[in-house]
Amino acid sequence: MTDTAVAPPHGGAAATEVADAPRASNGKRPRERSRRSLNETIAAYSFFGPNLVVIGMFLLVPVVWAIVISLQTTDGFGSGEFVGAENYQTLVNDADFWRATFNTVLFTAIIVPVSLAIGLGLAVLLNSVLPARPVLRTIIIVPMVISGVATGLMGEMVFDQNTGIVNRFLEAVGVGAVSWQSEGGPAFATVVLVTLWWRIGFNMVIYLAGLQSIGPHLYEAARIDGAGAWAQFRNITVPMLGPSTFFLLIMNVIYSLKVFDIVYVLTGGGPGNSTSVLVTYAYETGFVVRNQGYAAAIGIVLLVLTLLFTAAQWKLSRTRDLVE
Amino acid sequence: MSRPRRLSSIQQSQKLPRPGTSGWSRREVLGLFGGVGATAFVAGCGGFGGSGDDAVEGQITFTTWGTDAELEGFERTIAGWSDANPGASVRLNAVPFAQMFENIDAQLQSNTAPDIFRVDYDNLGTYAGRGQLLDMSSFFDDAFGERFSEAMWQAVKFDGNPYGVPHHTDTSLILYNTRMMTEAGITDIPTTLDTAWSWDEFEDVAATLRGQLPDDQYPFAYNWQASGVTRWLSWLFQSDGRFLAEDLVTPAIDSDAGRAAVDFTKSFFDKQFVPPNSSTKATTFANEFWYAETTAMTFAGAFLLPDANEVLDWEWGATYSPQNVRGGGDLGGNALVATANTEQGELAASFLRYATEQEPMRDFCAASSLLPTRRDLIESGIDLQARPELGRFFLEQATTVQPSDAEQIASASMAEINLVLSDELEQAFVGGQSTDDTLANIAAGIAEATER
Repeated sequence: MTDTAVAPPHGGAAATEVADAPRASNGKRPRERSRRSLNETIAAYSFFGPNLVVIGMFLLVPVVWAIVISLQTTDGFGSGEFVGAENYQTLVNDADFWRATFNTVLFTAIIVPVSLAIGLGLAVLLNSVLPARPVLRTIIIVPMVISGVATGLMGEMVFDQNTGIVNRFLEAVGVGAVSWQSEGGPAFATVVLVTLWWRIGFNMVIYLAGLQSIGPHLYEAARIDGAGAWAQFRNITVPMLGPSTFFLLIMNVIYSLKVFDIVYVLTGGGPGNSTSVLVTYAYETGFVVRNQGYAAAIGIVLLVLTLLFTAAQWKLSRTRDLVE
Repeated sequence: MSRPRRLSSIQQSQKLPRPGTSGWSRREVLGLFGGVGATAFVAGCGGFGGSGDDAVEGQITFTTWGTDAELEGFERTIAGWSDANPGASVRLNAVPFAQMFENIDAQLQSNTAPDIFRVDYDNLGTYAGRGQLLDMSSFFDDAFGERFSEAMWQAVKFDGNPYGVPHHTDTSLILYNTRMMTEAGITDIPTTLDTAWSWDEFEDVAATLRGQLPDDQYPFAYNWQASGVTRWLSWLFQSDGRFLAEDLVTPAIDSDAGRAAVDFTKSFFDKQFVPPNSSTKATTFANEFWYAETTAMTFAGAFLLPDANEVLDWEWGATYSPQNVRGGGDLGGNALVATANTEQGELAASFLRYATEQEPMRDFCAASSLLPTRRDLIESGIDLQARPELGRFFLEQATTVQPSDAEQIASASMAEINLVLSDELEQAFVGGQSTDDTLANIAAGIAEATER
């Protein structure tokens, strides 16, 4: 295709190139090309070299080091003792680990689809003719700029079961107070609700950008063909947002698997272990108990889970590169 | 190396660059930078007079967290020590409490730790047991420990040797809302330690309040949330129980005393004496329930007095913790310790000795609303700046801490044991776990922790 696109209409120049080719193969052109190629290679490395160094220092080395630590018994002071896969074998029979894993997966399974759906819905609404759109967009995006710790603290005040505004409201409308902080189910719900409030702004912004890149002619053609609003949404909007959805899916899954700050501040993993997640468990193991080898093993399991999901999504997604 | 001068301010020290890999040693660089602009600050601070030691010279680094009052107290202590030791200075580094021990761990692991740091008694044994603290035996003479109460001196010992100085302590007692107590008809509140409520009397008070208060208010809240779970042990000590046997390794909690403590505290939730969301893993602290008048009483340390005095616009008072077989309290407060790899052992020891002299300790504790560890100050009492009339309650309550209690809390595995207590008590309080299972699980957790 590319050859066709650059070929002159009558093939003259192309013929000249072909005629010159033997000379080029043993003349000075290959050297020039080789030199140019070398220069390009050097330029390329000089551009991404600094990134490679940073990624190596702050990503690859720590990951490799974490793998090494996960094969040791160590409290971090002095050299650890190599124990092979013992930490991973212990994980298999650790009920607290499985509880934290279950909570993490459940949290991810709820947060990812719900936050994507709400983000998409809000983006569609705010992409339409709606009064005070800039104000509404700002209100939805604001939580994005607040730190997770501050968000958790606000959530704690809002869902305080004795003095929080949510219970006051529920009592005022006759529903009755909910034990947000002393029962497992409601406590898990507070983590989900606060996280949704925090995350949907980000999803909405990405979807909004995706929506604004879809050409209006597609919808116009669909309308001419008699497609209704739902059919347009299902057959044009959703497929054309494939790259946005792919990006958000990966980002939201990664965020959900490594959730820490909101849980730590809002519920501390309790009541009981009902909101304990993998990272809060790894934190307690590594920094409270100081069993850093075991904590590193939990971290590596989390890394493997994340990589597996990302690889599967990469393989299975059919619309991640879809453009008009 | 240029002669180091006095203390630099906290702000200055936080901005100082960490020494790199030049030919200068870390301490040379710290010494050079530590002196910059310090003299003017110290001149305004004044001091407490001589330390009685031979004068020492040099600079040490000191990492701590603290409230404004505590940090100002440390600065006055440093200024006094520097006045008594011309040529000696301290580079003070104040960090948020939340980062304190993660930072110290990382610095110890990378051999960049400060010369001295502040540490709570729960963590002191953890560091000493891992060889990270300087054994002060060779720096302190035999009589040095006699300046402290027996329990507090025991709290800084590991394997019989001192690894720091008990700088101050704190312990919990009951703060109550006068109006809510009066409205419930509870007016006979103990004002001396020997008339403190027994467990039965305390239960009667709680039951009376429960009967008078609406459903969304509770008799009291206990301050065992988060790292305060160690305070649950007060109930065990009040029953004359132990969680570690005398070898400080074998679990001893599965006993009649342990059963009594778990049963009694479990009943707080069953009988709705405490808010259901005030268990050991709760993120709302006990004092917050009391401030909001959700509870009539709270258990609290003296450190809370300035805040309560400023925040509350209603009348409140204090009384002692309940007693069972004996009185008992938690070992709050902090020690000052030197790190094992410090090259300034003598200088660090000199500062620790000075910080626990009578006047520096009196000044620090009075201003910070904390309790002294020196025998003479405990006997004479100190005037806390906030609600000074309540100081004696806390000082007397602190005397209920026995050396054997302190010895267990300062054991090497206390950090892990705290996590076990938090998990298992949470299950007992709000998870429906039986007392027998709770004791068995705690004992198993302690055994695992002390074996590690």
